[in-house]
Formats: sequence, structure tokens, C-alpha cells
Amino acid sequence: MPDTSALPILGRVVATERKPNTPHEFHFWTALDAPVGIGTIVRVESERPIAGVLPTIYGVVTEGFGYTDLQTPLHDVLGADGVPSASAFAPTERTEIRLYTAAVLRHVPEEPLQPVPMGTVHLATELDVQAALRMDSYLGGSSARGIPVGMYRAGGTQAAVHLDADFLLGPEAAHLSISGVSGLATKTSAVEWLLSSIFAHFPPEKGGVAAVCFNVKGPDLCFLDQPASSLSDEERGMYEALGVPAKPFEDVQYFAPWTAKGYQLATLRSNEALQENVQPLTWGLRETLEYAEVLLNKDDVDAKADALIDFIKERVLNQVFTDELLGAAHEVRTFGELDRWFFEVIRGIEQRDRGDTWRTHHIATIRKVRNRLSNISTRCKGLVTDDGTVSDLPWGSFKDRGVYVVDVANLEEDAQDLVFARVVSQLREHLEKRQLGVSQVVVFVDELNKYAPADGPDTYVRKMLLDIAERGRYLGLVLFGAQQFRSQVHRRVVGNSGTSLYGRMDPDELATPGYQTMSPATKARLATLEKGQLMVRHPHFGQPIFVRFPRPAVLTGREGVERYPPADELALDAAVTRALRQLDPSVTLAWVQDCIALAGDSEDDIIRARNRCIQTRPDDVKAFFRAQLKKRVSSESVTKRGPTPLRAAPPDDDPYGG
Amino acid sequence: MLAMNAVRRIVSSYAPPGEGATARGIARAIRGGGLRPGAAGATLEAQREVEAPPRLEAATAVEGLEMTARTVPGEPVVGIAAFLDGIQRSRVLVHHAGVPLVHGAVAAAIRVRSARRLSAWSTPLRSHALYLPVPLMDATLVAALRANCAVVDSLAEHDAAQPLPRHPSDLAARALTAVQRERERSEQALALDWTAEQSQPLLMDGGIAGREEVARSRNVVGAVKSHRTLYVVGDAMDVILHLREGERSTAIALSSPRRTAVATWYLRLRDAGARGPFFGLLRVEVALEPGEDITARADLVSRWLLAERAPIALPDARWDVMVYGIRECEQYLTAILNA
Repeated sequence: MPDTSALPILGRVVATERKPNTPHEFHFWTALDAPVGIGTIVRVESERPIAGVLPTIYGVVTEGFGYTDLQTPLHDVLGADGVPSASAFAPTERTEIRLYTAAVLRHVPEEPLQPVPMGTVHLATELDVQAALRMDSYLGGSSARGIPVGMYRAGGTQAAVHLDADFLLGPEAAHLSISGVSGLATKTSAVEWLLSSIFAHFPPEKGGVAAVCFNVKGPDLCFLDQPASSLSDEERGMYEALGVPAKPFEDVQYFAPWTAKGYQLATLRSNEALQENVQPLTWGLRETLEYAEVLLNKDDVDAKADALIDFIKERVLNQVFTDELLGAAHEVRTFGELDRWFFEVIRGIEQRDRGDTWRTHHIATIRKVRNRLSNISTRCKGLVTDDGTVSDLPWGSFKDRGVYVVDVANLEEDAQDLVFARVVSQLREHLEKRQLGVSQVVVFVDELNKYAPADGPDTYVRKMLLDIAERGRYLGLVLFGAQQFRSQVHRRVVGNSGTSLYGRMDPDELATPGYQTMSPATKARLATLEKGQLMVRHPHFGQPIFVRFPRPAVLTGREGVERYPPADELALDAAVTRALRQLDPSVTLAWVQDCIALAGDSEDDIIRARNRCIQTRPDDVKAFFRAQLKKRVSSESVTKRGPTPLRAAPPDDDPYGG
Repeated sequence: MLAMNAVRRIVSSYAPPGEGATARGIARAIRGGGLRPGAAGATLEAQREVEAPPRLEAATAVEGLEMTARTVPGEPVVGIAAFLDGIQRSRVLVHHAGVPLVHGAVAAAIRVRSARRLSAWSTPLRSHALYLPVPLMDATLVAALRANCAVVDSLAEHDAAQPLPRHPSDLAARALTAVQRERERSEQALALDWTAEQSQPLLMDGGIAGREEVARSRNVVGAVKSHRTLYVVGDAMDVILHLREGERSTAIALSSPRRTAVATWYLRLRDAGARGPFFGLLRVEVALEPGEDITARADLVSRWLLAERAPIALPDARWDVMVYGIRECEQYLTAILNA
């Protein structure tokens, strides 16, 4: 323990019968101009040894009182003859007190645990902050595992506050919950900053760490690889002090489904200059049917329908299926093929004269399931493909310190749920088998009160989030959830969050029972926190601590869309050109137009050909694309489908030419 | 810098008490003498019966020939730099053979004003002692008590020609008087220190005539709140009792064989209305200097005192005549006497 006895005295501990000190709370007074406020960490030095040791107590100020020797306000009114301005002429100011209540952070020694003794109160130094927050157990040395979360600042003291990686990312505890009002709490910024900090400080010997971020609204997470427009000297100083490089994420991959038309990706990161690391997110029948439960309404789909879906998944999907009812063997790999299979089954039942059931499934159930499954590709158009084209996250080859942003902001709610369920399930499966490529994955979900609400139906997504919250830490699957109202998130999700961050809070939210343990002053401070300030709860911290964090060193969503405006909606040929140019820069609009005109394929076929190119990433993109079109031309010439006329753009109109 | 200022002010303004110089030390000393202190009762100050009846006393005018009411000219002005007060607490701890042994505690302090805030000037005086009639006590017991605490003979000023008092209440009253003398001595000692070191006005609670050096100092002003003796006779009393807010009486001279002569006048701090003739009435004492323009001085000092009406000294029962600085000083003394 450092010798801090020479440091100035800030205040003195006081206790009265009406306001006694306890082992977890004490009171002290200070001079009127003492640099103390709510959240200030102080150290108490007792002058009475216990078992031969002078106790030191650390506390954080949770409440402050100021009063004068006035017994009632009426006395002041009398003294000023009811004229407020008259009070200003008093030659003497009344005796006034600043009395503070502090919650105990730590007793040294820990035993015997006694009420806080009388003693002198000092501002905490940097070393005191480390001791008070028990950070000394995980900072420095060979087992250092501190993750900076921000700077504690009070009374001239600046100290880095670290979280314990074992308690933030597992296995001891895990998960993070961040709450606060929209726009002012800087929840997304805080998570971006913390991810930077994790990537800079997560001990390499603990394995690789990656982040999967769901962008659920606007352009929030669309520019994580672009540098911030400007950081102040103070912010840069904070980065330096906290040992985090002030630069954007180096390895970011974006995934977004296609728009309903399928021409381009449904993301605000659609500027031509940023397409290098943007990939489509599309799934076929197999990927979708595994999570059919997410999309199917429980009220519609009963046990009988479930049984039929299971039958399809186990006996029909991705295999040759034969039955005497069907004329020929079926191999169902796409939604289109599934629909044809349903058509044949229903027609077979109707044509034979042996009742309305087939393999114990009633024809009404079959019709209902057909109806529900068939419209999935419509409801999730752009994400779910009819033809089974799959473009997915790089399961098995996640990169250490890599960020994978899944942009679902433009998807319908059902489709968002599907994306969420499948991505998280895949993460879980791969982590269980230790086949993801990294040992820890942070999953960042905004608007958690929507996906894991405290009340409402027990959805598949909520069950999955509960599962992550309760068991994810053993796997290295860590949930970072953000929400406006913590009270509206399922209590088992927030309850299992080892670490909680609070930005500026809504006063109504603070009035809910979950905040009863906080003092009125702490609540008042929470309701007025500035941007860049957080209150942190962490298992090692005996009490919540206020910290500041620097703005993330990445471009904000708002600035990003200004600097990189989203691309206008493209025509089909331009959209195809743009996609193919990511694979082969020599592809020009004129070449694509020629190909399309010569092949005469339908719009769907052209999109399908483009998607196969993206999925396959062939060496010779032009040849491959042409081959895909030719294949179609050949098959459609049999069915005599006419070519879709496309207007050829003049060569000088080629935005990609040259 | 802020922190340093705060720290400087948080250091104790008084020295820690020594062994035997606290209420506990006195009780310990009594036990050491083989006596058992009883339960603490009310203070003797609270039990004190009125010793002398109210009276009128003639005085010589030093400002004109007759007693008149004079409006204090000009606005109130801040002139007082510091405030002096003293407190005392006396309790009978035990009766030994019918003789009360009284614990007397005394404290006095000066609170100096700087930037509208009051703080301790110099070191406050504190004392705890056992007040007892030594001639009536067993010498061995007195010696045993002296070994552990300060002992003051409450009959030290008794006229040897008179028989020794024996009534316990009489003895307790004499102890109380001795404690009061000790308090006055402490106040006078501090006032003397102030006059020796400072050139700015000091306001004392009570009269200033107890010590010659103080009574002659131009830096000391006394504020007397009680009026058991009114220094007027005849029609002049009407003038005083009917002073209006902001008016003072003609200055008069007070002199007695045992005290230094001082100039004094009555000043109405607050409108009495229907609250009685003494409401808001203060008697002010200053040094009497031959040849001085007492009118100018009385007016200036009165303006100083009128400025001290704010902040109001409530909830003190004597708030109408109590200057806030004196009340604050009293609060400070109560705190350190109990510390």
C-alpha cells in the first residue's frame, strides 16, 4: 500500500446517532470549496488501529447535503423582511455545511468488517482508485487482464478504470448491458469504444476475439473501418492514457441482404468506394428451414404442422425423395422445388381415392404448411432466395480482432429475427466445437428490449438470448446488449450481465424498482450525464463508478452517410456491373449490357447469374457469368420464354467505364 | 488550489484537550479521590435564581445635557471585524458531606470575519476545573483531586471576616460565580490579545469595563443585551423605552470604583411594536475618551451594529438583540467545549 499519509486532508468522518456510520456507508464533511461531488472516490484513514493495523476505507460519494444554521426558511424571510434582495446585504454569511454520504468500496484489511471509524478523508489518488475498485488483482503482472473502460476524473485525480476480462468476456462472468436514452446516452459509441479497448487489451494467451454486430437501425455501425472526422487533443490524450490506439477497426466485414428487387444490397453502406468489404447475406431453403420456428406463427402452426415440417427437414430436404404418391423422384433444395414437391403431394392425395391423409399428415395440414413455408421467401425477399443461393458469414474462419457487421436495418421484423436466430445459433454451434476461428465472440445487439422484452410472447429469439445470457460465458459467446429502458428487458438477460453501463437515463426509467438501490443524487446525476460519461457496474467494483470515455475513433453513422452518400437505386445492368466489378475490375457496363442482351435472360435469371458469381468468386468472372446466362438461354429456349428487353445505355453513360 | 484552501481550513482551530481538561477527566479525578459522581443534572446556569432585582441607576450624559432620542444618521455600514464571546457550563457532580463539587467548563473565542465568513482568530481558550470550597474540604481529598485535575477555590474571594457559608445552595451559587469570573477572565484575556495585535474593531458580547486595558481600547465595542440595570432615571427612561428602530439615545458615562469608566448608549435595532420596551434594545459600550467627539463615534458604532442585524440570529431566543457573529461564536464555543 503506498504511503499516502502526507496527502492533504479533504474532510473528516462524522457520525451521529441519527446518521450513524455502517460497514457499507459513512458520512463526512468538507470545506465549502472542497473538490468533491457525486461519484468522487475518497479514502478514509483511521487513527485507531484494529488488531494492530490502521484501517483504510475506500468509498464513493453517493449523496451530498448542504445546510446552514437556519432552523426554518421562515427565519431567513424574517431576517430579510420578506425582500429577497435584502439578504444579499448581510455582512456575514451563515455557517454552512457540506456533508457527504459515501458508499464503501473496500475495507483494508477486509476483516473484521466494522462500521467505518472516525478519521480523515482524502481524495483518492490513482493508486487508491486501483485499490478501491480491486483492480489491483488484475492489473499488471503476468496475469494482467484489464480492459480499460474509461477515465475516472474527480478533484484533479485521473485514473484509468479497467474491467476484468475474465468478468467481461468470461469465463467467470460475462456479458454487458448498456442503457440510456436515445441520442444522449451514446450507447453505440460506448460499445464501439469498448470493442476497440477489448481488441487492444484482450490478453493474446486467452485466444482470439471477434465481434458480430447487428446494425438494426440507420447507419450506426456502417463505417467502423473509417477514421473519425476529428478527435480533440483531450480525446487523443485519453486514448493514449488508456493504451488504446485512436484508429478505426482494421478488419471489418459487412453483410447485408439484397433489396426486395435484388439489384443491390439493402444497406446504407452502398457507396461505391466502400464496397470492398461488403458482402451479400442470403440463405436458401436449408438454412431457413432450420429456423422455421422463428418465422412461423405459433398460433397457426400447431403440433401437426410441426410434425410435417420436421418430416420435410429430415426426409425430404437435400435428398432424393420417392413415394408412390409422387410420379417421379424429388430432390428439394430450393423454395421453388419445395413448392413443386407440395404441389405433387397434394395433387397425389386428391387424385387417389384413399382418404385425406398421407403418411399420417392430413391434407389440410399439408396445405397450411405449404402456405406458410411458401411465403417465407416472399416475406424475407432479399434474404431468402428461391434458388438456394447462399452467401453467409465466414463460419470457421473468423479472424482475431475481426468485426462482422450484419446490417438488418432494412429488413422486416420477421427477417431480422431469422437473421438473428441463425447467426447466433451458428456462432454457438461453432464455438461449442471450437471451430469458429476465435475463442471469444462479442455479439452486439441494439434495441435489446425489442428482442428480449421483459414481457410479451416467448419468442424463439428471446429464448435464444436467455440461453446466451445464462450459458454463453462458458462457450465464449458474449452478449453486449443496448437498450433505452433496462427495465423493459427480460430480467434474466440483464441479471446475467456481469457488467452494466449507464449513459444518460430517462427519469421515468430511474423511478422503476430496478434503480431503488441508487441514491437520489446518483439518479439525478444519471439523468443529467453528459455525452461521453458512463456509470459502470462491474463485479469487482463495490459500487457504481462514473467514468468518461473518448469518442470512438470511427466515423459516425451520420457523418458517414454525408461523406459516403448511399448509392442511388441502380438499374439492373448497372447493379450487375457494380457487383461483378468487385470481383473483376475490367467488367464494364457495356460488356454487361451486351451479355444480357445476347442471352435474353429474364431479370431473375440475370440476378441469379450475378449471385452465383458472387458466391463462387470464379477466377474468370466474365466467362463464368456468361456461362450462367447461356445456361439459362438454353433451358429457356426449350420453354420458349422470350428475352426480357433491356435498354442499352450509351457507352459514355457508363459510370464504371474507363 | 481549491483543494489546498479547503485543506487549510479543515485543520482544527483549537488544541486537543489534555488529560483532566475534559468533563471525563474531571469525573475520573473525582473517582480517583474516592468519590462517586452522581447522574448529571441541569446546569447551575439554568437553575440560577435571580440574584438582584432590576434597578435604575443614574448616569452622566457625555453628549449634550439631556437624554434624547437621536436618529442614527447614514446607512448601516460594516465596520466590525471580529466577534468575541464566552460560554460556561456548571454542574454539581457530587455532594461530599453536604458540600457541592462543581464541574465548571469555560470557553471563549474570537471569530474574525474575512470575505463574509467567520473563522477562529488565535487560539480559543478552554478550561475545565472542579470548583469547590477548599476551606470546607478535607485537605487530603483536595490534594488527591488537584493531582488529577484543576481545582478552583470557590471561596477564594470570600471575606475572611465573615463566617464561611455552609448552605449547599449558597456554596453552589458561589461556585457558579467563580465559574462566571473565569469566563469573564477568559473573554478579557482574548480581548486584550486582540487590542494588542489588531487595530480593527472587535465586538464583545457584554460590557467592556471588566479590564482596564480593554475598556480603554478604541478597538473594542461591547454589546449588552440584558437590561436588569437601566442607566436612566426619571423622564429619561421614557426616551429609551420609546426609541424607534434605528434611533439611539444620548451617550452617557458609566463609572464605578471597581470598573473603568466607559461611554454607553441605547440603540434600537428592531422595531419593538407591541413586543415590549426591551425588544431590539441594545446597550452599546465603548471607551470613554476625554475630548473625543462622542456623537460621531456613537453614530458610527451604531451604524456598524445596525449593519449586523442581518443575517438574523434566529432561532436564538434573544435574536432581536443578538448579533449573528456573536451567535456564531457561541455555537462554535458550544462545539469545542463538547469536543
